Amino acid sequence: MMVMLMIVILSAYYYQTQEKLMLSNQRATLFKYAYIHTKRLKVLHHFFDERTEYPRDPRFKSAIYDIEYMKIFSLLDDEKMHFDEEIYLLENHIHFVKTLDEYYLGTKYIIIEVEDDGVWRDDIWKHIIGYGLFSFFLFILFGLYLSKLFLKPMRDSIVLLDRFIKDTTHELNTPLSAILANIEMMDTDVMVEKNRKKLNRINIAAKTVSTLYKDLTYITLEEETANENEHIDVKALILDRTEYFDILVKSKKLEYQLELNDAMIFIDRRKFTRVIDNLLSNAVKYNKRGGTIGIILEQGILTIWDTGIGIKESKIPFMFDRFIRFNKSEGGFGVGLSIVKKIIDEYGMQIEVESKEGEGTKMVLKW
Amino acid sequence: MVKSIWISLVLVSGLFAQDAYERNCVGCHQELPATLQEMFKRYLLVYSGETNMKAGIKHYLLYPSKDISAMSDLFIDTYSAKEKTNLDIKELEEAIDIYWDKFKVFNKLK
Repeated sequence: MMVMLMIVILSAYYYQTQEKLMLSNQRATLFKYAYIHTKRLKVLHHFFDERTEYPRDPRFKSAIYDIEYMKIFSLLDDEKMHFDEEIYLLENHIHFVKTLDEYYLGTKYIIIEVEDDGVWRDDIWKHIIGYGLFSFFLFILFGLYLSKLFLKPMRDSIVLLDRFIKDTTHELNTPLSAILANIEMMDTDVMVEKNRKKLNRINIAAKTVSTLYKDLTYITLEEETANENEHIDVKALILDRTEYFDILVKSKKLEYQLELNDAMIFIDRRKFTRVIDNLLSNAVKYNKRGGTIGIILEQGILTIWDTGIGIKESKIPFMFDRFIRFNKSEGGFGVGLSIVKKIIDEYGMQIEVESKEGEGTKMVLKW
Repeated sequence: MVKSIWISLVLVSGLFAQDAYERNCVGCHQELPATLQEMFKRYLLVYSGETNMKAGIKHYLLYPSKDISAMSDLFIDTYSAKEKTNLDIKELEEAIDIYWDKFKVFNKLK
């Protein structure tokens, strides 16, 4: 917009300058015509009124006006005269105004008019369009270059973080699988209570890491894979995921409050699982000890609420941004909700957030 | 007798038929070598427009002077500046208006 405005102003300035240049080029010729006409008027004045024929010339048209701007005689079509300008352009005609010192036949002003061929104007337009386009693209390129230059450090740091996550996630998979598999296989019945508690803690820790791992691999690897959409029984999936998080829930002494009705959705299972896992893990992570997690399922609406710390209303619009975390005391990369947002956008779903600081957060997913 | 009365009546009516310009200007100017038409062109050279010119002539007739005359030095030296007019302003202005209308350039060029 600014660039356009600048080019228009420059063009207008260029046009005016060229017009003045053209007029000053014409000035010498018109001055000569005016001189010739003055001589003829002088002769006519002398022989007036025996001779009354106004002098005519094929090269120009003319008019004579007295000191009170009254027309004495005119061969011009136009009656609009600019007596205060020496030379001017009006409706494709160049006008030259000469004032006389001796008023032959009472003439104070001689107006000489010649036709303007308009060649100079065509040239100007060609120049304006040519140079205008050239400078427009030049400005655009310059702007792009500048914006890239300014955004480079930011982009670099995001790329660095992405690469770091990509590299580390690959290395995490094998040991994590080994830990989880071995915990499952352990026979807890023969353990003493003390060891069972310790194993529980290991299980919780491993599952937290596992959720995080799945988020990260989703971002770095699975995001680009093709969808395998299918009809999913949401109720069954939620029950499965609540059971998966059960051990974390119990460790924080939280309680589930479930109101689950039958509901179906057509979506990629891995992606929908990521959405539910993230919403659930946030509800667990940011909940108070001994709090409640509520899940209400109806066809087309899934509500997950908690009795946690909540977030400020002013920060709600930013909570789906990548790498944004409002609470530094909890771990995480801040990628969970950005994944949720990406997936629900992809499937045209909506999410509403209601939150009160200190009382809890309610996330409503609609499809 | 009747004939002489008739003749004088014609003469008097003729006198009244003349306008202010003819009554007051033409008579004296006939004796000068420069015609009233030539003098008009002299004034035009100096004053250009109608209002300007009428004001110039009026001023000159009221306050004649060699220095402000529109005529050439030779003419003034030979015939000298005219004497101050004794016409009343109304009559003078009327005569000047008629003079302007008679010799003005407007609508005469072709």
